[in-house]
Amino acid sequence: MSPGRDVAVRLEGVGKVFPGNVRALADVNLEVAEGEFLVVLGLSGSGKSTLLRCINRLLDPTSGRIWIFGSEITAAQGAELRRMRRQVAMIFQQFNLVRRHTVLTNVLSGTLGRAGLLPSLFLRFPAAERERALAALERVGIAERAGARADALSGGQQQRVAIARALMQEPRVILADEPVASLDPALRHSVMRHVEGLNREEGLTVICSLHDIDLVKQYATRVVALRQGRLVWEGAPGDLDRDTFHDIYGTDAEPASNTTI
Amino acid sequence: MPRGDELSAPRTHWAKNVARLKALTVDAILLTTAGIMVEFLLMAFSGVRGPTGMLLTAEEILDRIHYPWLIMSGVILAFLWNLFYGWIGASPGRALVRGVGEREAALPWSHTLRGWFTVLFIELTFFTGWLITEVDLPTFLTKFSKASDIVRGLFHPSATVLHQGILLLVQTVFLAFMATAFAIPVAFALSFLAARNLTRGSALTRAVYTLTRTGMNFTRAVEPLVWALIFISWVGIGPFAGVLALWVHSVAALTKLYSEQIESIDPGPVEAITATGASTLQVIRYGVVPQVIPPFLSFTIYRWDINVRMSTIIGFVGGGGIGYILKPRVDLGEWGEVGTLVLLIAITVWLMDIVSARIREKIV
Repeated sequence: MSPGRDVAVRLEGVGKVFPGNVRALADVNLEVAEGEFLVVLGLSGSGKSTLLRCINRLLDPTSGRIWIFGSEITAAQGAELRRMRRQVAMIFQQFNLVRRHTVLTNVLSGTLGRAGLLPSLFLRFPAAERERALAALERVGIAERAGARADALSGGQQQRVAIARALMQEPRVILADEPVASLDPALRHSVMRHVEGLNREEGLTVICSLHDIDLVKQYATRVVALRQGRLVWEGAPGDLDRDTFHDIYGTDAEPASNTTI
Repeated sequence: MPRGDELSAPRTHWAKNVARLKALTVDAILLTTAGIMVEFLLMAFSGVRGPTGMLLTAEEILDRIHYPWLIMSGVILAFLWNLFYGWIGASPGRALVRGVGEREAALPWSHTLRGWFTVLFIELTFFTGWLITEVDLPTFLTKFSKASDIVRGLFHPSATVLHQGILLLVQTVFLAFMATAFAIPVAFALSFLAARNLTRGSALTRAVYTLTRTGMNFTRAVEPLVWALIFISWVGIGPFAGVLALWVHSVAALTKLYSEQIESIDPGPVEAITATGASTLQVIRYGVVPQVIPPFLSFTIYRWDINVRMSTIIGFVGGGGIGYILKPRVDLGEWGEVGTLVLLIAITVWLMDIVSARIREKIV
């Protein structure tokens, strides 16, 4: 981490044990500087999703503490927790749009953290927010579908709507949980480029789990790897060679990519 | 760490002993019941006569069975079977109760004592049932003539009640509709309290969940006919009592269906909306409600359909609707008029069935 930049996210001794004594995370220590594009690698079940969900408290860690820009989110409750969540937008593998709502309403739902309760329960949003939502859709290139139902869109388009929703939250951190894993390989770059845009142009901190080594090398500024809930490797994307790959994924694995590593 | 074993096996001795006790109880109940049925059949077929010299009826035999002895021997046999299950094979209780730890190898039923016991138990139940329900095939096959008047009447409907029947049928459909309409808001609100995935939060919400579920199960267990009698004393004879009776039953039934639907939603949108910093009400409005509206509509229309059928019976005891004029005609033996009313009900139920099926198809 280069000096002089703020620490966006800090994890200290974070562990998560699910009921039935299933250990998903063990003693994870991590600092992410503002503006980093951090990629988290690891097998399915290694704890990547759990780690991301602990950061915005969709899951409560069973041990350890987490700070977002210096405030401890693991100590926050109620309105304070919701206020902190607004700084941390999330993008999901399955997009998780409200399928029966319009694209525009889905994008506007990104503002729920600051919206008035009563109007929001009737799906009413201020005109200024609607303008901004349309601008966000413009930015991801699907403004013309604003009135369509979300489930009428293709997977790649749905993920771009999810990115617009995240943008509406005015976050400082983006958590992306395998954002392109359910998309056609041909569409992956179009979605990743939008995430990269938020990182480069808006200076947002991105923490993203990925499978594809090609994408890691192209977009990451730093890489960490999880195995059985523990951080086992950390380095620059350029340091990823065949040996580290086997360390992370086991000796049976082959990198699913055409580039040599 | 071998996670699988840890999850499947009972974690404590205490849990294992509870499971053993459960198996023992199940076996004792089964063996005692089998003993009672054996003694019942023995007494029935040995031709025991009462003080008047008449053959005993099934009820009188049940009165004379040696229950204390049978219970004692049932418990002892269950105890022995659970003690020596290693030699004679697992007992039914051991096979049924989870967590006992011992399972018999998968043998065909004819190779296990448990299998033979099961077959014997089913046979005993069948023959005991035959006697207790006084099955009488000869009368059934030879005395049709006594009912022929009724059947002839049903097939020759009389037009005299047609006008009144149609008017009351309209009342029946509206009665069912009002009961359903009043049930929707109550069931909608309660269903969120009765959904396990929304009430995991704290001990308080879990208590609310259990309380709602138990209350609804109890309400549903009481027949609408009983609710009708209660409300007839409350608001007097008439369709409003019927509306209230079906309303109570519909609230319980719809709460159960609604809450099960809430439990089976996709958690993804809930996560996504929570992550925006939305409050609980907003998460429900955006993450839950859009997912459950179509199935809720479908269940509600189906409930209306069921209520139309039920309201004819409710009328029998004075809850309004077509059943109200059907009952006196049955009592007076006006079979032609009964035939007309039954036909009207059948046509309505059939139409409701088609319409509700078509609407539900469109929604989902």
